[in-house]
Amino acid sequence: MPEINYDKVGLKVGLEIHQQLDTKKLFCSCPSMLRQDNPDFTIHRKLHAVAGETGEIDPAVMHQVSLKKEFVYEGYKTTCLVEIDEEPPHPVNNEALKIVLQISILLNAKIFPITQIMRKTVIDGSNTSGFQRTVLIARDGFIQTSHGKVGIESICLEEDSARIIGATENEVFYRLDRLGIPLIEIATAPDIKNPEQAKEVALQIGKILRSCNVRRGLGTIRQDVNVSIKKGARVEIKGVQKPELIEKAVEKEAERQFQIISMEGKVDSEVRKVLLNGETEFLRPMPGNARMYPETDLPLLKISRDMINEVKKDLPKLIGESEEELRKLELNQEMIKLLFSENKVEEFKELLAVLNNPKLIAKILLVFPREIASRETIPMEKIEKLLDASALLFVIKSLKEKKIKESEVKHVLEKIANGESPRSAIKIEKEDLNNLEEKIHKIIREKPGLSENAYMGLVMKELKGKISGKEAMEIIKKYVK
Amino acid sequence: MPDRKPQTGDYVEIHLSKLIYLGILLEVPGNEKGVVLLKLDSGYNVGFNRKDILKIKFLRKIKSDEKNFEIKKSSEKPNIAMIITGGTIASRYDSRTGGVKPLTKPEELFKYYPELFELVNVSKIEIPFMKASEDMDFKDWQKIARIASGFLNDGNIKGIIITHGTDFLHYTSAALSFFLKNLSKPVVLTYSQRSSDRASSDANLNLRCAALAAISDIAEVMIVGHATTNDDYCYAMPGTKTRKMHSSARDAFKTINGKPFAKIYGDRIEIISHHKKREKGKTKIDSKFEPRIALIKIYPGQNPDLLDFYSKKKYKGLVLECSGLGHVPSSGKKSWLKKIKEIQKKGIVVCITSQTIFGRVDPFVYSNARELFESGAIYLEDMLAETAFVKLGWILARTKNREEVKKLMLTNFAGELNEKLEFQEI
Repeated sequence: MPEINYDKVGLKVGLEIHQQLDTKKLFCSCPSMLRQDNPDFTIHRKLHAVAGETGEIDPAVMHQVSLKKEFVYEGYKTTCLVEIDEEPPHPVNNEALKIVLQISILLNAKIFPITQIMRKTVIDGSNTSGFQRTVLIARDGFIQTSHGKVGIESICLEEDSARIIGATENEVFYRLDRLGIPLIEIATAPDIKNPEQAKEVALQIGKILRSCNVRRGLGTIRQDVNVSIKKGARVEIKGVQKPELIEKAVEKEAERQFQIISMEGKVDSEVRKVLLNGETEFLRPMPGNARMYPETDLPLLKISRDMINEVKKDLPKLIGESEEELRKLELNQEMIKLLFSENKVEEFKELLAVLNNPKLIAKILLVFPREIASRETIPMEKIEKLLDASALLFVIKSLKEKKIKESEVKHVLEKIANGESPRSAIKIEKEDLNNLEEKIHKIIREKPGLSENAYMGLVMKELKGKISGKEAMEIIKKYVK
Repeated sequence: MPDRKPQTGDYVEIHLSKLIYLGILLEVPGNEKGVVLLKLDSGYNVGFNRKDILKIKFLRKIKSDEKNFEIKKSSEKPNIAMIITGGTIASRYDSRTGGVKPLTKPEELFKYYPELFELVNVSKIEIPFMKASEDMDFKDWQKIARIASGFLNDGNIKGIIITHGTDFLHYTSAALSFFLKNLSKPVVLTYSQRSSDRASSDANLNLRCAALAAISDIAEVMIVGHATTNDDYCYAMPGTKTRKMHSSARDAFKTINGKPFAKIYGDRIEIISHHKKREKGKTKIDSKFEPRIALIKIYPGQNPDLLDFYSKKKYKGLVLECSGLGHVPSSGKKSWLKKIKEIQKKGIVVCITSQTIFGRVDPFVYSNARELFESGAIYLEDMLAETAFVKLGWILARTKNREEVKKLMLTNFAGELNEKLEFQEI
């Protein structure tokens, strides 16, 4: 299969990221905690047809559903009446709202001063109420990537659904522990143009999320990827957990649509499930727009200037990076691009905060490891593992504290890449300059008649890491006429 | 129509100083007059402060896409009649304007609750008014009773369902229990605690069970609603012995000092306790009501002077919701005994019920209650305070004679008194 030219096929990708927030539940004060122990009680409910107006659920279909299925909800002593749809929702969790405001600001989005909590009709029983509560907080944000700007279409705060535990012919079992956990939903515009950029966007948004108070661990983040190419159709890929898999899945989906089109076929707009190798399989047809109407049990949600200013005061650091900022540090375009594509912007800023030498830090992150890999023939993965964030931080700190010289940094990294501990790697045998001068003189005497630069090469090979190029050249100049 | 003034339901452009938003202009809640609400194309509603808006530009009208529904009738199904009075069960969300509106046409009932019509023909529907139950008074009870008696005396109708707000539903059920005499058919009051727009609404099971109750042989005024939090069965509960016991739960109504008549599943009825049977005969209406009555809750340290107000305003009767077995503050300066004696002498009837809700009042256990009893206060046994209030207005409209009133208040007309209280878990 020849490589697809993504520009030519008009690849368009958008991401939808759901991340659980680390607070109590969104509309009650129950703990956001998944449980493995046996439930303390179960309740039995049915859902019924919701009145049909245009664009809503077909009552006939819904009625069928309601006749057949009974929903069994498993609760615990920590479960409250709000969760079992027996009490109106409490006001939205303020902490969760603040986290979403933080993230909205970091994603450069415009926050609505007034917004309304909505009910999105859900018919599969995963919400005891028959709908999911969701509220649009901000719109029209963006992030910068090495391939250009990507729009953030919307940022919503919503409640998670109940977790499906099992099903029989007539019953579906849901556990209430997950129901109501606050989620942020971030939807990008379909501005992403290639698989690599999709991964970059996921990584960047992931970083921003993790800099705020979000839940960690398996299942706390869920990502859906929308993919289409020219003459293809929008296909939603569900449940992609890792950014690497996003890249793969986009690649494979673009390929799949391309193949169908080149065989004169038609791509169906549908929902597909991702497999471990990035391939996808059919899950269900694309659903229509869900019916959405206001949560009439809660007042309008007002987000005041004061609240936004308060949130702005404790924005997490290191984020909000943009090309602009990097350019101000006089890094060249090549370096900036590499920082983004290798996903090293955050690390770059961390190190820069310790030592204000952007060019050296960029080299340490981007150039030296490659050079060392090729010269010492060590695989890149091994080098990345050895030259990890803490090792680099240690080296930079040593430089700042003048334990090593700038000219020695590469040599120190080399030693670490060869398995030496950072602590011992910075201990360079210090020969005094006189000694070194004698050695250089000896090199020149042994091979007379070469150019200054040729001697420089020989000297640096022999005395690698013990003397800076500048110092060496000064000595060479003394002896070469 | 480019110059049309934008109205709710129109598709508009909202111009802020830097941004323009497109969407449908929505109704704004009454307390939010400084706000403009907009439904964006994504379906989300957002708002703007009116003062931040430069202009609202009309783009186009949105056509109402409400379909008409016809109620289907079938000759095999039994006929029932319905009276719709308001409350959550009879309101609907209007997607065009974003407001909550009462149902206006009987046909809408079919649209929202199709399951009801699987069991019965709703051959007649009346909507005398649309009120939240907390806004009702005795005149509304009288209106409902009048319509109900008309339906009950129609040979084609097997029973009636009355849909009603929950808050004061038990007052209406008590009133109908007294107002409708020689009841020969079921009169079923039902409700919902979760609105009809939700797939989880309790209205469907309640209505389905209400329909079964309405065609059953239980010739009583009853409240039918969820027995538990589960959507599996309802109770049919006596109109004079039932009370709203939870502010929000589906099974808010509980039978107090008594038993439900029946347990009703979506497809069958299990009889639990004694009830009047369906029979032939005309139902009469006796709905005269004396409105100068009050229900007063006693609390610690309460000043009895407040009784002067009722006396001055020429009230005819008071129901006191007393402590425990039927006590009022009786010692020291705040003693109620003197004042209660005083107002009774002025002709005000004083009835005693308990704010414990469950259990019977008893004047003989403590001396202060004995003194109250001896002064002429009527101890109403196990009658609910709300039922007592309704009954007192009904009795006082027939007679003001103290002895007669006492005798009638302690006569069981509609199951409001129960000689024997069985063990009941609270």
